[in-house]
Amino acid sequence: MRSDVPVLVLEDAVPVFEASGLPPWPMRLSLMPGDCALVETRSGRDAAALADLCIGLVPLRSGAVRMLGSDWDRLDNRRTAALRARVGRVRQRGAWSDMLSAQLNILLPQLHHTDRSVGELMEAATSLARRFGLPGLPTERPDRLSEADLARAACVRALLGRPALLLLENPVAAEQPDLLPPLLDTMARMRERGCAVLCLVRDPAVWRSFERWTTHRLQLGENGLVPIDPAGDP
Amino acid sequence: MKRHGLRSVLVFRLRAALAAIGHWARTQLRFPLALLAAGWGVMLDGVRPSSWRRTARAEFRRTLRQAAGGGLVSTLFTAALAGLAMVSQALYWLGLTGLDRLTGGLIVTILLREVTPVLVGLILLGRSGMLSVTELGALATGGQLRSLIGQGIDPFSLLVMTRSLALAVSGFTLGIAFAMGALFVGFLFSSLLGSIQGSLWRFIDEVLTAMTAADYVAIPLKLLFVGFVVGLSSCLTGLEAAPEEDQSVLMPRGFARGILAVMTVNIAFTAIG
Repeated sequence: MRSDVPVLVLEDAVPVFEASGLPPWPMRLSLMPGDCALVETRSGRDAAALADLCIGLVPLRSGAVRMLGSDWDRLDNRRTAALRARVGRVRQRGAWSDMLSAQLNILLPQLHHTDRSVGELMEAATSLARRFGLPGLPTERPDRLSEADLARAACVRALLGRPALLLLENPVAAEQPDLLPPLLDTMARMRERGCAVLCLVRDPAVWRSFERWTTHRLQLGENGLVPIDPAGDP
Repeated sequence: MKRHGLRSVLVFRLRAALAAIGHWARTQLRFPLALLAAGWGVMLDGVRPSSWRRTARAEFRRTLRQAAGGGLVSTLFTAALAGLAMVSQALYWLGLTGLDRLTGGLIVTILLREVTPVLVGLILLGRSGMLSVTELGALATGGQLRSLIGQGIDPFSLLVMTRSLALAVSGFTLGIAFAMGALFVGFLFSSLLGSIQGSLWRFIDEVLTAMTAADYVAIPLKLLFVGFVVGLSSCLTGLEAAPEEDQSVLMPRGFARGILAVMTVNIAFTAIG
């Protein structure tokens, strides 16, 4: 059963430009359970900053950012951590720690926040990894994996567990079109369960066939977060 | 009018001078204050059961294995050298001058109270502290730290608390191993040279008799604190790395801070005791 509480709300949120590089304009967005927003961004840095804004990592000049009804600015450290545990994210910069194997990188958030057994987590992660075209969970260090395998592993990590919100920063590059069908398929299942998706893309051409699935289309530019009408004009 | 202008210049220069002094003082005090604050934070976090999730427990075990398990051979080797150079020499010269009764007291004062914590601190700093500086520095400059925070994982609990406490336990473990190794090798060498008579047990009894009740508390505490400050200063040095700083900047900084921290703890305990 879906909740009536929006998963993510940007309520006239004005980010501090110096801390994020995001344009200091009021941003508005409301994602209900099952919604999917496609946001075109100018750069990977903008995409990362907007995703950071959604999880309360960017200070605000005014307005509020709420997830599942909770204002990030009003939560204590424990509640903030617990709420962030409900976010699955594919990120471009700083995504992998070479201190750990790729397998541990993938499992770390679930091992930290849940008490699911290691065996159960491994099974779920391996099943997801196979769905994304990996032979199993990669045991090498991330710096020894190819870009394509890292992109697959990033999807596995983001989708593992039951995230309430998915933040996908350019999850599929133009040279990896084979990653799109399993991602869309898994996203569709998660949206049916009530997960909201915010997909931040630099190259909208890759997502052309996916546009009809989206509930919101926006563009992040100099004027802030601007809705795009169906004709494609901001 | 002219006098007013002169006064403005003087006030401006005075303020600039005060600002420069304040900036220097703040820069010098920033790290020691951060160390104290983080130390208190580790104590608070360490007694909170919710901090010890399985990821934190795994990190604690990993660091303990690396520091105590991996550093045991280096510690015993250094202890053997200290035993040869210090204990056997002390036994030889005290025996030669007829001051055998001072043997226990001298060994307790020099070897157990002073040399053991410093050498164990240096071993921990070199083998594990510098590793933390490198690893945490890479996490900070590579953006992985922000990624951890974004996943709802507190790097302080996961990395700083666990590593500092693991190094504290390692400091105690390696310190005891060092003291036993140095005493054993020193006795063995002196026996071979004929500069000591009697059994190993009698020699150990002599050393233990020379220890006061306060030594039984102060020496283990000193070893724990030395390991703790090595871990804490190394982790903080790594975590506060700026994006433009690389290992060539972080390593010397981490080493210098670690040495200062070890010496400060050593001197503080000596002064108190």
